[in-house]
Amino acid sequence: MWSERLEEHLRQRPERLDEYRKQGKKVVGSFPGNYVPEELIVAAGAAPVCLVNASGVPQLEASLTVMPNVFCPFARTLVGEKLLRTNPYYRVLDMLVAPITCQHVKKAAEIWECHQDIELFKLGVPHQHNYDFEQQYFQDRLGALKDRLEAVTGNRITDTSIGKAIELYNRMRGLLNKIGELRLAPSPPLSILEFVRLNHASFYADPEFMVEVLDQACEELSQRTGSRDTDKPRLMLIAPNVGLGDYRMLEMVGEAGGDIVIEEIYEGVRNYRQTVDINGEPMHALAVSYLNDRVPPAFMRYSAGKRLDFVLNMIREYRVSGVIWYELLCCETYDSESYFFLRELEDRKIPMLILESDYGTTDAGQIRTRLEAFIEIVKGELVW
Amino acid sequence: MIELLEMCGFTAAEAGKELPRFRQVFDRLGINEEDINRGKKRLAEYYDIELAAVRKIFRFCLREMADSVMAREDGKEKVIFGFMAPIFDVIGAAAMARSRDVYAAHQCWAYLMTVGSIFGKTVKVLETAEQSWLKSGAVTHCGNVKTLLGLLESSLLPRPDLLVSTGFSCETAPKTLDLLQEVYDIPVHCFDSCQDRELVEYDQASKRMIELAARSLRTFTSRVGELVGFPITDNMLREVLDVKKEFNLAMDRLHFLIENSDPLLLGPAHQSLLMAFGSLTIRLEEIPEATVVLNDLIKDLENRAGKGEGVVAGGAPRILTILPMHHADPRLEHLVEEMGLALVATDFGFNIPYEGDTGDPYIEMSVHLMGSMASCLPRRIPLIIENCRRLKIDGVLNTYHVGCRTVAGDALMIGEAIGKELGIPVLNLEWESFDPRVFDKDSYTWQLETFKTLLNYRL
Repeated sequence: MWSERLEEHLRQRPERLDEYRKQGKKVVGSFPGNYVPEELIVAAGAAPVCLVNASGVPQLEASLTVMPNVFCPFARTLVGEKLLRTNPYYRVLDMLVAPITCQHVKKAAEIWECHQDIELFKLGVPHQHNYDFEQQYFQDRLGALKDRLEAVTGNRITDTSIGKAIELYNRMRGLLNKIGELRLAPSPPLSILEFVRLNHASFYADPEFMVEVLDQACEELSQRTGSRDTDKPRLMLIAPNVGLGDYRMLEMVGEAGGDIVIEEIYEGVRNYRQTVDINGEPMHALAVSYLNDRVPPAFMRYSAGKRLDFVLNMIREYRVSGVIWYELLCCETYDSESYFFLRELEDRKIPMLILESDYGTTDAGQIRTRLEAFIEIVKGELVW
Repeated sequence: MIELLEMCGFTAAEAGKELPRFRQVFDRLGINEEDINRGKKRLAEYYDIELAAVRKIFRFCLREMADSVMAREDGKEKVIFGFMAPIFDVIGAAAMARSRDVYAAHQCWAYLMTVGSIFGKTVKVLETAEQSWLKSGAVTHCGNVKTLLGLLESSLLPRPDLLVSTGFSCETAPKTLDLLQEVYDIPVHCFDSCQDRELVEYDQASKRMIELAARSLRTFTSRVGELVGFPITDNMLREVLDVKKEFNLAMDRLHFLIENSDPLLLGPAHQSLLMAFGSLTIRLEEIPEATVVLNDLIKDLENRAGKGEGVVAGGAPRILTILPMHHADPRLEHLVEEMGLALVATDFGFNIPYEGDTGDPYIEMSVHLMGSMASCLPRRIPLIIENCRRLKIDGVLNTYHVGCRTVAGDALMIGEAIGKELGIPVLNLEWESFDPRVFDKDSYTWQLETFKTLLNYRL
C-alpha cells in the first residue's frame, strides 16, 4: 500500500536527513507559500524541506517570548519551533530560504535571522507583478538564490540539473493535480484530509520517492472512485493556511456530514495546478511560473477579484454547494477578504461559513455546532 | 468657533473669513459646539499653544482637513488621495502646482490631528469601518486603515478619482484599497518594493530595493499623469524636492534641538504633531511658509533654552519612544510629561545612511526606506541602540502599535536587546496608535509610575 510506504518513509525521514548531512550533503529548508522553487534546491544536490507544521501549545507559548499574540498561529509556530528545537525538521537545516510574503512570515524570518545560527536567504517576492521590472526582480532574486545554494552546497547548478528537477516537480504536481481531480467524481475517492496529508508529505519526503508514491496512489485511488458516500454536500475550503497537524476542522467537516471536494489554500497545499515550462530558459521559466502561474494569495496587490474568479470557477467545476472559509486568527488580509467573499457568494446564493482558528482546542464544540448547522443549511434542511 | 480657529493660528480676519467654510466642514464631520469647547480645552491642556508656531501647525492641519472634505465643493475635478504612501506629499504638491483643478492630500494625518487630537471624536468613524471588513476583536486591524475606510464609507471624504497606497510595511492598507476598488469601484494604485534585505548585505540590498521602489513609484506618477492630463515630469518633482529640502532641514534642526535639550523644550504630544506636519500635502507655494513656521518654532525654543526653561524639570530621565505614540489622542504623551519624564526623541527619525546615488528624484524619494521603521529587525535593533547611546537615553518607552504587524513584531526583540545591551529600563506597552479607545489612564499611570521608579533607581 502506498500509504504505508509513505508513512514508513516519513517516520525514517529525519534520521535519513541526519545521515545525509553526515555524508557532507546539505538540507535546505523553506517557509511555505509556493514561492520557493524546490527545483533549485534539488538541482544543487541538497534535500528540500518545507516547514509546514502547525504545532501545539508549547510552540505557540514559546513564540510569545519574542513576538506578541497579534501574529497568526502559523507564523508563531515557525518561531516557536525555532526556539524550542524539538522538531527534527526545524533543527536539521543547513540553510533556510524565507520568501518575503505576508508580514507574519516575514517577521518570523527576521526573528530566525536575529539568531544568526543558520545561513538564511530572504527571497524577495514582489507583491505585484504587472510590470516586467517586477517579474525581472523576482528572476534576479532566484538567480541570487541559485548562487547562494551553490556556495552552501559546493555544487554547481546547471541548466541541465535544473531541467531535471523541473521535470521531477512537474511530475509531482501533475500527479497531485490528477489525484485532486478525482474529486470531480460524484463520489470522490479520497477525503480532503487524505489529500491535504499527501500535500504535507510532499513537503517533507524525498521528492523522487514522493513521485513514486503519488504514482501508485493515483492508480489505486482511481480504482477507488465511487466507494464513498454521494449524499454528502460538496463543499469548497478557502484558507490562508492549513499546516501539518491542523486537521481538527477537516475531521469535523466529515463528521458533520460534509465533504470538501476542492480547496484554495495558500500555505499547506502545493500549487499543484502549476507546470513549469521545460522548453525555455530554466530560471526565467521558474520565475514566471512561481510568481505568475498561480492564484494570488490575499496579501498580493489587487488579488481579491482574481481569487474570487478562481473560486467561482471551482465552485462550478466541482459542483460545490457551500464554502467554508477557514482563517487563522490575526490574519488580517484573509479576514478582510472574508467580508468580500461572503458578500459576493451571498449574491450568488452560495452559503459560506467563516471559521477562525488559533490552533486551540477550547472552541471545538462551538466549531462543531456551527459546522453541523452550516451543513444542514447547505443541504436545505435549514433556511439560509 | 472663531476662538478655536484663533487658537489654531488663524488671525482674527482669517477666522472671520473662513468661518462659513469651517461651519460647513464641522457640520459634515459632526463637530458641534460641545466638541468645539472640548477642543479648546484639549488644545490648551495638551499643546504649547502659547507658541505661535505650534498654533500655525494646527492651522495647516485644519486647512488640509477642510480642503479634503470640501474638495468637490471647491470644484476640484481630479481628487487624488494618498494613504500610508510616503512621499505622496511631493507628487501631490507637484500635481497641484501645475493645475488648480487637481487636489491631492495624504490621508488621514490632518483628520487625525484635528478631529482626533483636538476634538477627540474619531470613534464613530472607527466603528463605521468595523461594521465593514475591518472588524474589531482579536484580529487587530490597524486603526489608521480603519480611519480611512470609515471616512470613505461615511462619505466624510469625497470619493477620490485615485487612491494610492504602498505595502512597504503594511498589508492591511493595500488590501483595503483592493477591496475599496472591488466593492466601491474606487480606482486605486499601489507602489511597492521588496523588504528582503539581509543583515549581511544590507547596503547593497538597500540599493536594490530602493531602485525597485523608485521604478514602482514611476508607475504611480505615470498613472497620475494619465488621470490629470499632463505628465508629472522629473523637473516638476525636483522643484518640489528642492523647496521641501529647506523644510526638511528645519525639521531636522528642530528635532536635534529637542533631542539635546535639558530641560526638555517641548512636550511629547508635539512629536505626533510634527510628524503629521511633515506628512501633510502642502502646496508648493506654501512650503516656504511652512518652513518659516518651523524656523520660528526653533527660535522660540532656543529662547526657552536660553532662559533655562522647559516643560519638565532639568535633569529628568531622558526617554526614547519607539515611534511617535498616538496620532489621534495626546493623553498618554501628556501623562508622560506630567510624570516628569523627558521624552526627547522617537526612533522614527533614525536613519541608516544611504550609500547610493540620489540624483534621480525617484531614488531620492525612496530613500525613506532607510528609516528605522522600514528597516528589517536585525538592522533596526543596532540602529536604535546606537542612537540610545548617542542621545544618552535613560529608558525606552516601547509603545508598539498593535494594529501593525511590522511594528508589533519588532517590539519585544527590540526591548530585550536594549535591556541586554544597555541595561536601561524598557517599558513595553501594547498600544493602538490611532484608536483613542485604548486609553486607560489608571493602567498607564500605574505602569509609568513603575517605569519611573526603575529609572530613578538606576539614576
